[in-house]
Amino acid sequence: MTRIPRQHEITQLLAEWREGNQSALDELYPLVYAELHRLARRYMSRERQGHTLQTTALINEAYVRLVDQKNVQWANRSHFFAISAQIMRRILIDHARRHAYAKRGGGAQQVSLEEAAAVTPEHSLELIRLDEALKSLAERDPRRSQVVELRYFGGLNNEEIAGVLHVSENTVTRDWNMARAWLYQQLTGSGAN
Amino acid sequence: MTPDRWQQVSRIFKSAIDLDGEARAAYVAGQCGADDSLRAEVDKLLDSHRQANAADFMNGMAVEYAASMFGDNEPKSQSRTLTKGQQFGSYVILDSLGAGGMGEVYLAQDSRLDRTVALKVLSNDISLDKRRMQRFRQEAKVASSLNQPNILTVFEFGEVNGLTFIATEFVDGETLRTHLHGKKGKLAAILDITIQVLSALDAAHEARIVHRDIKPENVMIRRRDGVVKVLDFGLAKFSEKKPSTMKLEESEAATAVKTAPGIIMGTINYMSPEQAQAGDIDERTDIWSTGVMIYEMVTGKMPFSGATTSHTIVQILEKDPPPLSKLAQVPDELERIVRKAMAKSPDERYQTAKDMLIDLRALRKRLDVEAEIGRTSSPTTPVAAVVTDETDQRQPRAKVLVIALIGMALVTAAIFGVNIWRSSRARISAPVTTAVPNVDRTLTYWITVQKFKGKRPYQDPFTLAGEINFEANYQIRVNVRTPQGGHLYILNEGPASAEPEFVVLFPSSTANGGSSSLAASQTLQIPEQSWFKFNAEQGVEKLWLVFSEEPLPEFEGIREFANPQGLITDPSRNKAVRNFLDTYSAAKPEVEKGDKLTTLRTQGKLLVYPIRLEHH
Repeated sequence: MTRIPRQHEITQLLAEWREGNQSALDELYPLVYAELHRLARRYMSRERQGHTLQTTALINEAYVRLVDQKNVQWANRSHFFAISAQIMRRILIDHARRHAYAKRGGGAQQVSLEEAAAVTPEHSLELIRLDEALKSLAERDPRRSQVVELRYFGGLNNEEIAGVLHVSENTVTRDWNMARAWLYQQLTGSGAN
Repeated sequence: MTPDRWQQVSRIFKSAIDLDGEARAAYVAGQCGADDSLRAEVDKLLDSHRQANAADFMNGMAVEYAASMFGDNEPKSQSRTLTKGQQFGSYVILDSLGAGGMGEVYLAQDSRLDRTVALKVLSNDISLDKRRMQRFRQEAKVASSLNQPNILTVFEFGEVNGLTFIATEFVDGETLRTHLHGKKGKLAAILDITIQVLSALDAAHEARIVHRDIKPENVMIRRRDGVVKVLDFGLAKFSEKKPSTMKLEESEAATAVKTAPGIIMGTINYMSPEQAQAGDIDERTDIWSTGVMIYEMVTGKMPFSGATTSHTIVQILEKDPPPLSKLAQVPDELERIVRKAMAKSPDERYQTAKDMLIDLRALRKRLDVEAEIGRTSSPTTPVAAVVTDETDQRQPRAKVLVIALIGMALVTAAIFGVNIWRSSRARISAPVTTAVPNVDRTLTYWITVQKFKGKRPYQDPFTLAGEINFEANYQIRVNVRTPQGGHLYILNEGPASAEPEFVVLFPSSTANGGSSSLAASQTLQIPEQSWFKFNAEQGVEKLWLVFSEEPLPEFEGIREFANPQGLITDPSRNKAVRNFLDTYSAAKPEVEKGDKLTTLRTQGKLLVYPIRLEHH
């Protein structure tokens, strides 16, 4: 029996998932995770040399590499972006956790100088807190939390998000405003609950 | 919030957001009717929306925001200029500490002076940028001219192989921003931090240097002992006698508020009214910013934080923030101090950092006394009664009562003298180092003992106040706590034989970065990592503690006259030390022994005391 090429495999899995097969997502997840993680690291080091970083470009590259372009529909693409946003969130938060841990008690020394000290560890802590706030938003308002995930972690624009969620662009804008205000309230501690 | 309520709020929010000013207010009022809590909920969210816009909150993407930490975790990344173990001038690179806007930071060993430093190497594109280069040089110049324990010490500024670098003291800790983490601080800690920041500012102002950018990001707290270091004199200016105008555009802090995409808000919030108006700036601008910082530490909120930069500026110029007491439980005196520091007119503020320092120290002393009396007179009174903590907030009434009780205890104690203490409970063993009047030098020490079996530690280390008969297999550490800042020297005098021998134990490269200079409330462990071992010679060892307000020329640099183990080999130096110790130990300090700690007190600027350690 011949092994199905990975591109086909992923395209197939995407199609199955779109048709409602949840176990397809379970298989898809680690494959996309690995690719996105690899690309993210590469993009990050490029970013450090002065290039700007674009999540969409990153996910696009993963998409082109992973998905067979000849057998694909737009709907597949937006599904790919949806799952990628979720995965990017995980990659970043996992990383932030490790980073924050290393900075706190993991034996790594923290920096004495203002830039290094002020920029890095705080970003990781902020991201972790944001992720937690986003989880509690998901409990009361799954759609709004998804809008945030797609936009902030997935880098999708409102039009793309509207496509993924089957709502109007206007709704996406409003959802975003509301969700962001609420998250801000949570993170700055000005919210009561 | 219930799901129904959430739906309600979001429905009103959604439409209100498209309306402006009065129309919005009218719409919200109409929708909420008499439901005040609904209205409060909606207003709060609308306000957060405004603030989130102003702060560019989540304006970029998470991945950009995280970029710096990805890079930081990859020491093997090609973009690092220097690698572990590499020689860089007279430094050996030990580790990469991270990277920031200005360049990369390394942990390095200075092989000439055998000390660990933080080495900041400027990135190439910044070296070419004249303005930033100027700022870098400025920081080095200004900070190195200031020698104060609460100011990050700059050792060297130079260039190796075309790379510009700055070598500074290495501080293992976190910034006050990270430390706060959007929460309220404890009152005692807030006072401690602020007192140290002001001590730094006092020294800077003495040298006529205005920092101009005091904010939590520029205050570093050392993990080991909580010592505070003020960083970034990159924007500092020499204050003119007749202050020349320092315009707003000069201040990078003002213009570079929103550089990175992200959550953290810019520096504008700590600017004084005169700074925000591009007026004349002098030392009193730092007083303002310190006041803002206290406010934030106490309440967890910035006093001035508008929708946009210009809104914030308007608030700074015109609005009085809500009193601290509305947002936290604080002594009236702290309220008064903060209000005075944040007076809109510089003339109404504290005129010097020293004046503010005096008030804060007095407050801390008072709180210490109150806490002590609370502890001694009533065993059930929580020590934290006078300390603000967010977890206490639920029972403000009970706390007021506790404070009132303490007040009564004070009065009672004043009437009946200290007898009231004896009748209730034995005096606690922990010394009250700051609450004793008319004492000029105070120092607390204790000894940590580790038993050894061969070369291996045996059982857990234990702590004692000193003076027991040590076994040969005991190894020790000396711990010192100094409520005041000053200069500490510790010498070991071996068992008296014909000629006394002195070994310098402190300062040394293994504790306090080789400096004798201690900050207020610093705790030192000497040595930091290893232990002192007794040699085979039996008898009484003396550990001479010399604690002075001023650096002592007799002891500064004395290591140059010692061998690598610290033994003073130069005969004339040895004699000078002998004479010094004989002369100044004549005035014996008052000794208070507790179970675990010994506290020494003396009048005057110099405390000299031998800890006697007998061993066999």
